[in-house]
Amino acid sequence: MDFVYSILIFIGLFVILASSFDLVIGHCGLISIAHPIFYAIGAYVSAMLSKQSGMPVPLSILCGGVGALLASALVSVPALRVSGDYLLIASIGFQLGLIELAKHFHEIGGAGGLTNIPSFLIKDFGRESYVVLVLALAGVTVLFIRWLTQGPYGRMMTAMRDDELAFSMLGRNAIWIKVAVFAIGSGIAGIAGGLYAHYFRFIEPDQFGLLQSSAVLTMVVVGGMRTTMGPVIGAIVLQLMPQVITFFNLPPSILGPLQGLLFTGLVLFFMFVRPQGLLPAADLWVGRKPLEGAGHSGKEARS
Amino acid sequence: MSSTLEIRGLCKSFGGIVVADSIDLDLSPGRVLGLIGPNGAGKTSLFNLVCGVVKPDAGSIRLDGQSLEGLPTYQRARMGLARTWQNLRLFPSLSVMDNLMLGPRVYSADRLVDVLFRPAQIRANEAEARDRARDILERTGLSPIAQSRVQDISFGQQKLVGVARALMNDARCLLLDEPMAGVEGQTYALIQKAVRDIAASGVAICVVEHNVAFIRDLCDEGVFMFAGKVLARGSVEQLIADPHLTELYFGT
Repeated sequence: MDFVYSILIFIGLFVILASSFDLVIGHCGLISIAHPIFYAIGAYVSAMLSKQSGMPVPLSILCGGVGALLASALVSVPALRVSGDYLLIASIGFQLGLIELAKHFHEIGGAGGLTNIPSFLIKDFGRESYVVLVLALAGVTVLFIRWLTQGPYGRMMTAMRDDELAFSMLGRNAIWIKVAVFAIGSGIAGIAGGLYAHYFRFIEPDQFGLLQSSAVLTMVVVGGMRTTMGPVIGAIVLQLMPQVITFFNLPPSILGPLQGLLFTGLVLFFMFVRPQGLLPAADLWVGRKPLEGAGHSGKEARS
Repeated sequence: MSSTLEIRGLCKSFGGIVVADSIDLDLSPGRVLGLIGPNGAGKTSLFNLVCGVVKPDAGSIRLDGQSLEGLPTYQRARMGLARTWQNLRLFPSLSVMDNLMLGPRVYSADRLVDVLFRPAQIRANEAEARDRARDILERTGLSPIAQSRVQDISFGQQKLVGVARALMNDARCLLLDEPMAGVEGQTYALIQKAVRDIAASGVAICVVEHNVAFIRDLCDEGVFMFAGKVLARGSVEQLIADPHLTELYFGT
């Protein structure tokens, strides 16, 4: 049963990661693939706070989220002041640099990883309770991002993606919106990191590298960018698919490369055949409250 | 009468190409000034300098007496500067209504903190902006297509949406970049009427336009630009009649 719980936890965590990453790269159009480093920051901050200072786990997870949120500004503020394009380079540098740094910091476990992270809920209420917590928070994340992107803030992000210059000329501050959305997305990833750390109770720097980045990116691309359910479906499909392969009883030497091939093949397939993903986004932004009165041609529903 | 927009000694060159050569210009409240000149005279560049899209090499720009120096575009807009674009620059992923909804100087969701923690205030601001947008759409005859995507409406209507979106700013100074290019018939009359109404409400307007009839009908005064310089200022009739300027314009 533990195996099923682990899969469910992973699905929940990756729903949170993929949805928050879609907020950054899809809705806001910020090109960055360093999302997992904020997942890592959340995991490490929460693990260290609860382990070293005995902080209650829910509070430490929250602090992990805030830590990731603040850390995101270190990357986004300098990069976005110059141009959106620099964010990609700056964020990858930040991700790889921080991973290397963590490997050499023995206080946080170094390359060997951080062990004996305090658990939460499991001792008192069993593993099921943690599964419920993670899946519930995944649901809350999806609903929150839908609420944000279908409200006036979503209208702003859409316009900014369309034409940043015209957007600024209307009096809107594009840099601030980018920094804010990047921070929200990163903060949510940080909370997912904390949730990971206190369930598996072991984290190591190499978990949060480019492989993780490509996994989250694949989920968003395959599921469908700028949709509520796209990243959810992407996360579920890409978490389950490797599990299905394991049932074929293949030797490990084949299994590993096969999974890699599958992911890469999937991305290539979608790029050529269905670049909009499984769930295509509507090409007209429609806010959550349809305008009363004149309902002429804007009836395209938002997926 | 004090100027709404005051430009003094404005200079800008890109490498060897001079787009603004010590330009002095004043826009007065309620008056429409036409910028006339051949392609490459620096008309649109002047708009870009005023809006902060391009940084000047020298000179000053004041809006209602306040210096715009060093301010980013969005802050200039919040001070009451609005413009339309030669190539429209509408938001294709938004409906006509939502294009307008982004236009007010203070937007409902400018502050993320308000979005997260003051939903009531956001709702009130949205409702206010929506009423204002409805009113402007009504006045510009765009109400029937309020929910349409901007790429589904005619080019003339798109131009009109550009003007309507700029109107949401409740601007002190409005810059119109070729509002009539490619526009005919009923829409022509609608844009003309819209510009007249805005001027009547005390807004200072500057229009770049190649349509001489439009300039003559609408502008209180004209300025002739050539190679980044203001060569002449006077009534539009006067400028059109000047053989020297006509020669520069047509390059004969």
